[in-house]
Amino acid sequence: MTVELNTLQTLRLKGRISRSDLATSTAVDPAVVSALVDTFISDGLATEANGRVKPTPSGRERLASLLDAERAELDVSELDSAYHEFDSYNVELKVLMTRWQLKDGTEPNDHSDGDYDGAVVADLRDLHERFSPLLDRILVLAPRLRRYPGLFASALAKVEAGDSSWFARPIADSYHTLWFELHEELIGLTGRTRADEAVAGRAL
Amino acid sequence: MTADALTEVVGRVVGLGARGDHDRETLGGKAWSIQNMLRLGIPVPPAFAITTEVCGDYHRVGGESGHRTVPDHVWDGVRSELNIIEEATSRGFGAAARPLLVSVRSGAATSMPGMMDTVLNLGMTDAVEDALAAESGDVGFAADTRARFAHQFTAIVGHPPPDDPWQQLRDAVYAVLDSWQSPRATAYRDSRGISDAGGTAVTVQAMVFGNLGADSGTGVLFSRNPLTGDRAPYGEWLPGGQGEDVVSGRSDALVLDELAAQLPSVHSQLLHIADVLEREEKDVQDIEFTVEEGRLWLLQCRSAKRTPHAAVHSAVAMVDDGLLTTDEALDRITGDQVRALTRPHLDEATTDRASVLATGKPAAPGIRTGVVVTDPDVAEERTDAGEDVILARPTTDPDDVAAMSVSVAVLTELGGSTSHAAVVCREMAVPCVVGCGAGSLTGLTGRIVTVDAGRGIVYDGALPVADGVQEAPDLDTIMHWLDEIAVPATDPDLAARLDEYHQSRKP
Repeated sequence: MTVELNTLQTLRLKGRISRSDLATSTAVDPAVVSALVDTFISDGLATEANGRVKPTPSGRERLASLLDAERAELDVSELDSAYHEFDSYNVELKVLMTRWQLKDGTEPNDHSDGDYDGAVVADLRDLHERFSPLLDRILVLAPRLRRYPGLFASALAKVEAGDSSWFARPIADSYHTLWFELHEELIGLTGRTRADEAVAGRAL
Repeated sequence: MTADALTEVVGRVVGLGARGDHDRETLGGKAWSIQNMLRLGIPVPPAFAITTEVCGDYHRVGGESGHRTVPDHVWDGVRSELNIIEEATSRGFGAAARPLLVSVRSGAATSMPGMMDTVLNLGMTDAVEDALAAESGDVGFAADTRARFAHQFTAIVGHPPPDDPWQQLRDAVYAVLDSWQSPRATAYRDSRGISDAGGTAVTVQAMVFGNLGADSGTGVLFSRNPLTGDRAPYGEWLPGGQGEDVVSGRSDALVLDELAAQLPSVHSQLLHIADVLEREEKDVQDIEFTVEEGRLWLLQCRSAKRTPHAAVHSAVAMVDDGLLTTDEALDRITGDQVRALTRPHLDEATTDRASVLATGKPAAPGIRTGVVVTDPDVAEERTDAGEDVILARPTTDPDDVAAMSVSVAVLTELGGSTSHAAVVCREMAVPCVVGCGAGSLTGLTGRIVTVDAGRGIVYDGALPVADGVQEAPDLDTIMHWLDEIAVPATDPDLAARLDEYHQSRKP
C-alpha cells in the first residue's frame, strides 16, 4: 500500500520519469518498482512513452483516494502545527534560492564568484541543520516521507562537493526540487491545496 | 555708492517681440526664450516682462527706505503692455465678453528653487467665468478653470484672489518679487555664490484655449518619429481639446493628418515651425501647440524623449540632412543605446500598437511567442506536436515542472520573484512572468501571445522581435565614423567603441 502510494505520488510529482529514476526517487528496489509500473500500466493508472512513465487521470484519482485514506490515519492537527513551522523555513529557503540565482535581486549570478557562492552554500548548510529536527518530527507523523532526509543530505553533499546543479536544478532531485515536493506533500497531508496556500501567501 | 545711485530706479516693462534684443540678465530665462521664439517667427502667445531690474530696485530701494514698493511708472508700463496684448488677441482683461486670461511666472537669469511658481488663468471673475462657459459651451470647464486659479493663487500669493483682476495682477507681481528673497531662494544663492543683487523678472503671457470656438484644439508634434527616428513628423491632434488633454494620452486623439484635412494652413505652418526649430536646436523637437479660432500658438517646445532606435536613426539622418557634424552625432549616440538595439527586443513602434493582455513581475527574461495553454498535460502534448506553448498557471505545482521545461515561456497569476515558478524557470532559462493577478490568465487559453518576460508584459498576437538587423546600415555608418576619427579601439564591438569614445571625450 505505502509503496503503491509513494510510487504513484512520485510519478505525479515528477510528471514524466524513467523507471530507474523512479526507483532512485522512491528509494525502492528497481525490480519492485518496475513490476509495480507494469501493474499500473495494465490497470490504466499510468502510460509509458519514450521510456518515460506518467500517470493517467485514473492514476491521479487512485492517488487521491490513497492519500485520503492515509490522511484519515494521521494526526492532522500535529501535522498542521508542523506545517506552520515549515513555513518560516520555506521563506528562508526561497530567499536563499533567489540569492543563488540573482545578485542584488536582479543580475543573474554567473557563479564566477566563488566567495559569493560559498557563502550561499554555507547558509544552505546552516538552514539544513536547523530544519532537520522539524523534518524528523514530520517523519514521525508521516512515516511515508522517510526517504527525504537521505535525499536532502545527498543533494547538499553534492553541492558542497562542487556540483552546483544539485542546488536548484529542476527535474533532478536537487535541494530545491526536493523542498518543492516536500512542501507539496505537506500541503496535501494537511488537507490544503496549493491554490489556497498561494492566496494565503505561503506557497508562492 | 552715492545716495543717488541707491535710489535711482532703472527697471522697466518690456513687450516681447520678434525684433527684441533684450539680454537674458534683464528678461530672465522664460521671457528670454519667448523672445527667441518670436525672433524665429514662431507664434507664441503675446507676452511682456517686468525686468529683473525692477526686482533689484524693489529690494534695494525698499530695503533702504523700509518700504518696498513698485513705482507707478512700472504699473503704467504693465497697463499699456497688457492693452497691447488685448489688441493682439481681440480680448479684454476682466471683460464680460471675450475675456483675456494671463499667466504670471517668475524667471531669473538662472533658474533656482524657492522662487514663486506659475499662476495660470489670472484675470478670473464671476463675469469672466460666465463668459468662458458661454464661449466653450462647457459650464464645468469654466468652473474648473476658476477653481484651479483660485487654488493656485491662494497657495502662491497667500490669500484668495480679489474680485478686481488688476488687483489680482498686482498681488501676483508682488508675490513674485517677494519670492526673490524667500529663505529657500536666498539659501540657494548663498550656496552657489550667486549675487543677491540681481532679481527675478515677471513674465505675463496671454492664455490660449483650444476649446473656445470653432477651428480650435490642441496637440503635440514631434519633428521626427520618436519611436523610429523616421523623418516623417509624428503627432496627435484633439479638436476642441484643452492643453493637458493630449499630453495625458487621451484615447480619442487623432493622428496629425486629421489636422491637415481640417486646417491645412495651420498644419503646414506647424510643420514649417518644426523644421525651423529642429534646425535651430539641432535636435528632434517635441512641440505642444494650441489652435484657438484658427490661429496656431506654440506653448512649449523641448528636445524629444526617444527610443534607442530613434536616437540612433535620427542622429545618423541629421548628419545626412546637414544638421549635425559626425562629431556632434557621435556625442549623442551611446554604447547603451546600441546595446539596447542589438539585444533581442520589441520595438516601441511595435508595442505601441499592440494590446497588452496581462502584466506581472519579471522573473526570468526573454521574449517568446506561442499559444497559451493552461493544462500542463495539454502543454506537453502540443509541444510534442511541434507547437510553441506558453504555459499559464494560477501558481505552479511540482507536477507542472515537466510541462514548464518544455514550454517556451511560463506565466503565473500568483506569486513573486522568489516563487517556485520563478526559481525553476530561471534555472531552466525559460522566460517567466509571475504574479499577473488572480483570474488574469485563464481567459487567454488558445490565444497566440508574445511575452516580453524581461518587462513582465504579455502582448496579443505574434510580434516581430528586433535585434539590430534592421538598423545595420545606421550601425555601419557609426562604425565608419569611428574608424575615420581613429578612436583607438581595444574592442571591435560597436557599443564598446562608443563607450571608449565617450570616455576619451571626458575632460
